[in-house]
Amino acid sequence: MLSFDLHKRKLLTVFLLLIFIWSLLGIHWGPELFHTGGMATAGQVFAAMLQPDFSAEIVALGIESSWITLAYATAGMSLALILALLFGILGSGVLASGKRSRTFMKGTFRGILGFMRAIHELVWALFFVASFGLSPFAAVFALAIPYGGILGRIFADMLNDVPDEPIEALRASGASRLQCLLYGYLPAVKASMISYSMYRFECAVRSSAIMSFVGLGGLGYQIQLSLNDLNYHEVWSFMYFLIVLVVLIDGWSTMLRKRISI
Amino acid sequence: MRKPKFTFLTFSVYVFLFLIAASWYFVVGVEKASLIELFSRENLQYAGKFFKGLVGVGEEKIAFLSKDSWSEAIKLTVETLQMSIMAIGFSTVVMFLTVLPAARNVADGTLTLSKKWYSFLLFGLIRISYIFSRAIPELVWAMIVIFIFKPGILPGAIALALHNFGILGKLCAEVIEDTDSRPIRNLASAGAGRMQILLYGVLPSVLPQFLTYILYRWEVIMRTTIVVGFVGAGGLGQQFKLSMSFFHYTEITLLLVCYIVLVLIADFLSERSRYFVK
Amino acid sequence: MSKNNIIEVNQISKHYERKIALSSLSFVVEKGEMVALIGPSGAGKTTLLNTLAAIIEPDSGEILIDGLDLRKITNQKTRARKIGIIRQQFDLVGQLAVIHNVLAGRLSEWGFVKSFISLLFPQDKQTAISALERVGLPDKTYERTSKLSGGEQQRVALARLLVQRPEIILADEPVASLDPARAEDILETLTRLAREEGQTVIASLHSVEYAKRYFTRLIALKNGEILFDLPVEKVTDELLKELYQLKELDQNALV
Repeated sequence: MLSFDLHKRKLLTVFLLLIFIWSLLGIHWGPELFHTGGMATAGQVFAAMLQPDFSAEIVALGIESSWITLAYATAGMSLALILALLFGILGSGVLASGKRSRTFMKGTFRGILGFMRAIHELVWALFFVASFGLSPFAAVFALAIPYGGILGRIFADMLNDVPDEPIEALRASGASRLQCLLYGYLPAVKASMISYSMYRFECAVRSSAIMSFVGLGGLGYQIQLSLNDLNYHEVWSFMYFLIVLVVLIDGWSTMLRKRISI
Repeated sequence: MRKPKFTFLTFSVYVFLFLIAASWYFVVGVEKASLIELFSRENLQYAGKFFKGLVGVGEEKIAFLSKDSWSEAIKLTVETLQMSIMAIGFSTVVMFLTVLPAARNVADGTLTLSKKWYSFLLFGLIRISYIFSRAIPELVWAMIVIFIFKPGILPGAIALALHNFGILGKLCAEVIEDTDSRPIRNLASAGAGRMQILLYGVLPSVLPQFLTYILYRWEVIMRTTIVVGFVGAGGLGQQFKLSMSFFHYTEITLLLVCYIVLVLIADFLSERSRYFVK
Repeated sequence: MSKNNIIEVNQISKHYERKIALSSLSFVVEKGEMVALIGPSGAGKTTLLNTLAAIIEPDSGEILIDGLDLRKITNQKTRARKIGIIRQQFDLVGQLAVIHNVLAGRLSEWGFVKSFISLLFPQDKQTAISALERVGLPDKTYERTSKLSGGEQQRVALARLLVQRPEIILADEPVASLDPARAEDILETLTRLAREEGQTVIASLHSVEYAKRYFTRLIALKNGEILFDLPVEKVTDELLKELYQLKELDQNALV
């Protein structure tokens, strides 16, 4: 059995390597891959990395943009949590009474969750901007939908993993499905839900930063503007703001997750 | 022990509530975004036109009914697939080159029993590079890379790899930090060199977990390929952006269908192969 | 049919694949009786209790609870007022505070809104606190249930039953994972409280010794059949030997 497993692993590794080589064949390798002067630009970009522009004006702008990025991320995430709770609970099927209605509910709502997260937040943003125009809500909704999908799927999985005994006991003492949710399922998964949401919050900040690409403000917008001006020093200043913001959120969420007892 | 834990958690809860309130206030109050305006008659008309366009109502050329568009879309789909595989391949290579010195137990010598003066320097440098790589989104990397490379799937793959090697590196370094050090110490004390330790000691025990992470990241990369395409990094995303700009709505639908199918296939494949190695 | 018969079991059978779990069992339990189900493992004790609790439906035969067909009591809430269940200590939601686990016994009477509010501001607090006092846990009201020891958790489950106030208590190996001192404690509390409340108890037990000490009537199951059904004072060592023979002499069970 063990040797068979080892064999399988080797087979998979070789297979993956072959696919990688196939993918490399998709490119005509040669110097025409670069822009003329592309290497020089690369040098300039890297040189600028060590000399970011931290003038008062840029710092003020950086702080403001960081706040916009964080605000969109937080607003989007809070909406995503509501969506995730709603669809996650429905998609776990714990509210369904019969076996068939459970399968039906699971299928339907997990399908919806799958669709929500299959499309990237930026594509959602493009759609919202195309249909509703430039509005902060476009950013918030565009974040909320895919993150709702990702969180909702995980929430549904967590709810499905709750042990049966306490739930059966609650049913036996006369609790309805909704009451079982309140007294059994939700308390059991609360800590893991918070923990996972915290982890996703960091990703939401990064996603929020790129919302600027469709014309919605924030750090990404400033990076794009500076890139258009070929001002690499400024580019890196805003990059550092983004890095600090992400590292801070990451640190906070790691600290929190360590303290939440599951 | 219980008191400080309690205060940090409550403090965090308050900070969160404040953040949520402040950001909604900012979105609604300061930026003057109004939900009612969002659903104004004018906007609804635009939205209606847009969605009608997507399904082909009132369009002259319906892309998802044309054979040429399909073959074009399928070509782009294959390109996108290649881009994603290249991206995960590059990040895996970089991860493998850097992951060993980036593990704390290798850096301080508890794993290999050999401690070099530069170990901590290397550890710090690589970890900082991971942080840079992780914190900057793929799209921003793509915007920079596109200054250096001509549009195509290579810059896309590089941008995706630049963001993902940090994530992979961090995840995999943690795997090494969690491995049982006894068999590896044994090898080291038996006089095995760095390469030998990697090949015989570390690799076999961490590879399955690495593979899981690689497949998981591939799934995420698949989803993100479309985004790096927006700035000209090739694949479905590039065409998608063009179609958006030219208001070729039915083409958008076609590309979106191809994209979703790719994402679902990636989901399914990575799930399956994880099961396969288990 | 005497008016005092709270449970009437008529010819119930249950098959699993090839195995016979229960083969046409019949017995009657009067209100206020303390019945212990004994027998080697696999004899059908748990299946019988689950059938009585309507978790499993018998292949044939009928069960009357207070003269009503159990199959007709489909409403979960009505059933909860008739029958309460206690098992090993995995029945509680570990992440909830003790008081909410106790108040879960009230859920059959509460609507959704009240049960939601209760999680924030416990309702019927006095009921819960007095129940906890009666089971001997007055000072753990707001602790996280998972922090309690096994015996304490089982007391919380008893407190939940006190709040639920069913007419019948079905106990499936209620002390299986407890050490002897705790086990006796729990059984003593269970039977005492049931007597005070005038409830009927049917408990499955591994240990004959406990069964003899705390219960008034023993029903012995073997291979899905009733081997004997006697008041505790009439159970002889010969009968017990017959019950447990073939199985390698299980010292614990025979002591």
